[in-house]
Parts: sequence; C-alpha cells; structure tokens
Amino acid sequence: MLDGEAVLETRNVSLSFGGLKAVDDVSLRVDRSKIFGLIGPNGSGKTSLFNLITGVYRPASGRIIFEGRDITGLQPHQIYRLGIVRSFQFPRVFFRMTLLDNLIFAARGQLGDNPLIAVFMRWRFQRQERQLIDRALEILEKLGLAGYAERYPSELSGGQLKLLELGRALMAEPKLLLLDEPAAGVSPILVSKIFETISFFRDVTGLTVFVIEHRLNVVEEFTDWIYVMHRGHLYLSGTPSQVLADKRLMSIYVAEERVVDET
Amino acid sequence: MTNIDLFILDGLITAGYFAILALSLNIEYGYSGLIDFGKAAFFALGAYTSAILTTNGFPAPLAVLMAMAVAGLGGLAISIPAIRVRSDYLAIITLVFAETIRVILKNESWLAGGVLGIRGIPPMIDLRSISYDTHLIGQAVFVLILFTIFATAGWLLTNSPFGRILRAIREDELASSVYGKNNTAAKAVVFGVASAMAGAAGSFYSQYVGFVSPDLLILAITLQIWIMSILGGPATILGGLAGALLVTSISRGTRILKDFLNLPLDANNLMFILTGALLVLVVTFKPTGILKEGRVRSVRR
Repeated sequence: MLDGEAVLETRNVSLSFGGLKAVDDVSLRVDRSKIFGLIGPNGSGKTSLFNLITGVYRPASGRIIFEGRDITGLQPHQIYRLGIVRSFQFPRVFFRMTLLDNLIFAARGQLGDNPLIAVFMRWRFQRQERQLIDRALEILEKLGLAGYAERYPSELSGGQLKLLELGRALMAEPKLLLLDEPAAGVSPILVSKIFETISFFRDVTGLTVFVIEHRLNVVEEFTDWIYVMHRGHLYLSGTPSQVLADKRLMSIYVAEERVVDET
Repeated sequence: MTNIDLFILDGLITAGYFAILALSLNIEYGYSGLIDFGKAAFFALGAYTSAILTTNGFPAPLAVLMAMAVAGLGGLAISIPAIRVRSDYLAIITLVFAETIRVILKNESWLAGGVLGIRGIPPMIDLRSISYDTHLIGQAVFVLILFTIFATAGWLLTNSPFGRILRAIREDELASSVYGKNNTAAKAVVFGVASAMAGAAGSFYSQYVGFVSPDLLILAITLQIWIMSILGGPATILGGLAGALLVTSISRGTRILKDFLNLPLDANNLMFILTGALLVLVVTFKPTGILKEGRVRSVRR
C-alpha cells in the first residue's frame, strides 16, 4: 500500500467535453520522491487529467490538492509557481528560439521577466542569466544536446525534441514533474536515457514524477506505483508487479482491440 | 537647397516618424505575434492629445508625455480583448477600435475641429528664425535622435527574459503559461508600451507638420506601417526603419521621377504598383523580411 507522504491528491475529479466524460470521478495520490506511472488505452483520459492538474482545464467537480493546498481553478502560471511542471506529449517547444533560450525560459524566479528590469536595470538580471546559462548547458550536456545549444529546435530529430521537452521541464526545478509520454516515438536507447535521467533526479534531488507511459516493460522497470485509467475512470492501481499481473489490465486493452475489430 | 532637396529631406523626416511606428508594430506583431490593425489610431490619439494641449498653451514636453499616456492607456484597453482572442479576431477588434476613434474625431467638431482638424501647432524645436533649411535639418537630426532612443528601448525590451516571454506568446501561449509566464500581463505591457511609442511618434509628428486631421487615422496609414514592417523584417528592431525608408523612397521617388521622365502612367499609381510588386517579391523570396530575427541577446557572450 501507499505509505509515503502525498504531494498531489485529486479528489473525485471530473471533466466533460460535451457529452463525453473525459475524466470521471478520479481520486488518486502521488507520493514524494517517487515515480508514479499512469497507463491506459488511447482516449482513457490521461492527458486530460494532466491538463486538470496543471490548470489548463478547470474540473467540473472535485478538488485538486498540492502539498496540502487546494489548487483547483488556479491559472497554469500560478500552478507552475507552486512547483508543478509538465511536459507535453507532442513537444511544444519554441521553434524560433535557440535550445539554450528554450531551457532558460523555463527557469523560475527570473528578474528579467519584469519589463522595467529588462530595460532599466539589466545588470540585475544579467548575473542571474549567466548562472542560468551554465545550468541550462549542464542539463543539455546530460541529455546529449550540448552541441545544439545555440541552434534551433527545427534542426533536432523527433527523439531529440522529446529530450528538449524533458530538459525544459527539468530546468524549471519542479517539485512535481508531470511527463506526458516522454518516450513515445523514441528509439529504445533514448528511452532508457530519458528514464535514467528521471530516476537520477528522483534519487539526487528528491523529485516526484507522475509519468504517462505506454511501454509496460519501461513502466515495470522505472516506476514505483502505477495507476491505470480506462474510459475516464481510475481502473486499477498498485505496484508495477501487482498491476502487470492483474488479468483485468489485459482485458481493457484486448476489449479495446475487439471494439476496433468489430467496427 | 533646391526644392527637390527639401522634398527629399521632408521625406526622410516623415520616414523617421513612420520608422518609430513600424518599430512599435514590430514589438507587437513581430515579436509577440499580436496583430494590431489599429496602429494609426494610437498614432492619432497621440497627435490629437498633443495638438489640443500645445494649441492651448501647454508646454511641448508635457504634451508629449500626455500623448504617450493617452495612447498607452488606449493600448491597455485594446489588450483586454487580446487576452481572449488572437490573430484574425484581434485584427478585427483593433480595426474597429481605430475606426470608432476616427469617426468620433471626425464628427465631434467641438472636441478637435472635426474634419478640419487642428492647425497652428508650434514646432517643438523651432529653427525657422535662422533659415528654413536649417530648420528642416534640425528636424531631421531630432527625429534620428528620437528613433535611436525608441530603438534602444525596444532592443533592450526584446533582448531580455521579458523578450523571451514575447516570443513564447507568439509561438505557443499554452506552453508559455504552463512554464509560469503571465501572458495576460505581458500582452498588456506590449500593447501599452507599443501604443505609447506610437502616441509619442504622433505627438512629435504633429509638432513637425503643424496640424492634425482625421486623415491621420485612415486605414491606409495603418496598412502602410504594416507594409514597412513586413518589408523590413517584423521581428527586428531596425527592420521598421529599413521598411520606412524603402516605402518612402518609392512614394517620393515616383513623384520626383515624374518631373524628369514622361511616365506613361500617373506617378501615384506607379507608387502603388511598385510598392505592391516589392511586397509580393519580399514575401515570396524572403518571407521573414529584409532583416532577419536574431537570437535573444540578454548577456554578452
């Protein structure tokens, strides 16, 4: 059973698009310094749940609690400030900024975000900017992208864009990192690199991770706890070995297949 | 100086004021991706505010500040719909805003002279007592100084962490807000600053030409500023100047040309043809404009 300290909790959270219940009465928790996995067939509401947690959508009902604080209905930028950062399933990097700028953009507490300091007191942010450049280069180095620091994302491969997306999220020094399929469409070597990087940050900085991932072998190897979503519901949960041994897990995937076959 | 020299000098001065307007559009559209089809309205708000104050005996520097404040507030007002809508919707809203102000200024003659506008605005720097040539040269130097000041401010603003927020808003608002940036506040700053800049240009321009009329607000003025921005390179600081010089040299050049060549068509029409052809060529072969967007230069490295 879960015995850690809950960082994030959703309590009976629901979201509908028209008649479709994308997220239906989901209650779950994510514990500190653990990697929590979220799996489920396409359209089961995983990304919608992430959108609810990060304030992109507002839940129709239910509460979202982060570090004991009710964050339901806060704006995305306010939720970021509390320490929740996410990556996107399809990389949403800034294509007309260099990789370095993409990373530095995500850093928190930048003095130069204030236009008055940007114009009239440049020395105040420039000191900080130099430190951020060093930190961004370190992260790029760790992800094997150091050679592209001054280049633009359009020169990267799909897998490297995923790495950039991850790097940007790490640059934000999150307390809770939500990763939406960080390794989808990525070569197997990069997959381990991505998950080893995440595990490294969990072990060294105590990062908490909530990750959507499809590959069951990856989930089994790297996660500490798994939630399974199915048609908007929280369907199963448990340790990786428990969930993967559960016959109901296969039944939802197989059932989905059957539905597809019949139509 | 000959009449043609004076005509060219006047063209350069006008191009300088339009360069400031194109610069303010570049900050809104080029860097932040916010479409503003009401640029002429902020130009005219500044010009009218300043004209009303100076003709009523207020000192010119105060008139400039008030012009910037009024235009800046107008810009903040326009940023409210910009919070929710983007691109074509924002274009329509800004267009309607400009037309509303134009119709009001044209019809409420008690406010600002109606269709006749306001005449007899004293120049800020008056060297006419020396000679008219000196006066014009003085005006040219003055507009160059003004452009340098605004371009420096624009460069500092866009080459900073704040400048990164602007680019992020242009490219992906959702990613920007998920990464902790307050897009709403940044947009308000952009519209406020750029409109105040346009207002200042309007104020100085009205003091240069000595009169204002509702013709300052027509859509053609806004579109001319857009053409300058697109030709020069929207996401640049000096692109506006390059575009303004190009467009002005075409419009003035055709008029000068007509005195020396027997043109088969009206000089004014030739101007439209040349400007249109240039626009098509640039958009086809160099879609980012003559100058290219650089990376964010926040620190020296």
